Amino acid sequence: MFKRFDASNDVSTSTQVKASVQRGIKSQISTSHPSITDDILDELLPKKSPLVQYKIGPHLMLYCRQHEGGGDEPVFFQHRDGPILPTLKFVHKYPKLEFTNVTVDKGAIPFMLGGANVMCPGLTNAGGEMPPDEDDKAGLQKGDGVVIYAEGKELPLAVGFMTMSSINIRKKNKGTGIEVCHFLGDGLWGTDDIQ
Amino acid sequence: MSVTITTPQSVIYCGACGMPPEYCSYGPDFETHCVPWLKSSHPDIFARLHGIARGAGIDAGGGGSSSSTSPAAAGPWTTRERLAAFYGKYMPEKLDGIDAILEKYEGKEDKLFLALVRKYGPEPEDPYYADGSDSDDGDDDEDGDDGERDVGERMRDLDVDGGKKKRRGAAAKKVNKVDTRVIIQKISRNRKKAVTHVVGMDTVPGIKLKDAAKAFSKRFAGSSSVKEKEIIIQGDHVEDVAEMIVTKFGVSEDAVFFDLDGEFVPYGG
Repeated sequence: MFKRFDASNDVSTSTQVKASVQRGIKSQISTSHPSITDDILDELLPKKSPLVQYKIGPHLMLYCRQHEGGGDEPVFFQHRDGPILPTLKFVHKYPKLEFTNVTVDKGAIPFMLGGANVMCPGLTNAGGEMPPDEDDKAGLQKGDGVVIYAEGKELPLAVGFMTMSSINIRKKNKGTGIEVCHFLGDGLWGTDDIQ
Repeated sequence: MSVTITTPQSVIYCGACGMPPEYCSYGPDFETHCVPWLKSSHPDIFARLHGIARGAGIDAGGGGSSSSTSPAAAGPWTTRERLAAFYGKYMPEKLDGIDAILEKYEGKEDKLFLALVRKYGPEPEDPYYADGSDSDDGDDDEDGDDGERDVGERMRDLDVDGGKKKRRGAAAKKVNKVDTRVIIQKISRNRKKAVTHVVGMDTVPGIKLKDAAKAFSKRFAGSSSVKEKEIIIQGDHVEDVAEMIVTKFGVSEDAVFFDLDGEFVPYGG
């Protein structure tokens, strides 16, 4: 999604996000990442300084936080009606925040850094990890946004959304399990702030 | 509790490739750029990531299974091995004291090796780099550093006086690297009409292109837009823009140029 993203070219319009919309964004984030409460979010994204929304192409929105030194720091993005996902720089900055996450095995790392999607075996092999399923209730539903960590590494290397539920991934164990939206080394990763 | 969660942590990213150091080894320039950088600026992280990784036979340099006791090309030397090799060559009786020396010179290993080279002679080669095309690795590091410092200083010399006062702030580090230069150009749009292009306002510290454009449009009562780091103002305002840039944005006169048929004429002169 951001593989060839270039902040100076691909960003079309910027608008300040309305307070009500910002509230909606926050509640979406806190429902999809249960351990991040509204209080924490209020501290990360203060009500005083509104978020700035940048449009990238027709369907992709980038939400940025205003910086003191000028420029806007990308913090979240959303494609169409998909999940609202954090940027990697933001996740690295607050390592104590627990986003909904999965871990891929070591073999998948070089492919992931090239921007590949996560295939099911990368999650089910030894070294891969997903939230446990309980009976019929899947740990992760199809379409859920996740932060992707790697086996043996501290920092996450990509964010994406599930294309199968975690039950199906364990059962079928074939094909794309997570579609990667943003990974280490892509265009968004190289964007520290937008002017 | 939430205070601890929401305080931002500063994360170290590789100065050579921009990735977190633990992912450097997957990049194309890992051995040529990332390793020297990590070794010189964060020896502790280097030792933690690659010292251990190599001992356990995991990723560094694709060395694979060879154990850490054999110095043969399993990966680049850690600082400790480098020092051990040095003393092994010149002063074997000092080998026992290596840990104490390392502790004493923690964080300034570069200086230690420089002093050693001066005292004893050239450093023994790291077998890991020896089979590459150019060999003497330790010196390479230091030379590289010096080179960068030189460039930095030269850049600073280039800086114009007007900008200097502003650059003491937090953004100083970032801004120091570019020298301010603004070029103003008149382009005729039509026989009677003209537009003024201003290139290089993004090199002026502390000014956002959009804000500058807004200021121009207010001052000249016409449209003014930003296109790819270039400000386009409707009408012929070449002289006025130059004056405004100098007085309002505090850019030195030497840094403002007119582009007259491809020739750069300084505003001050």
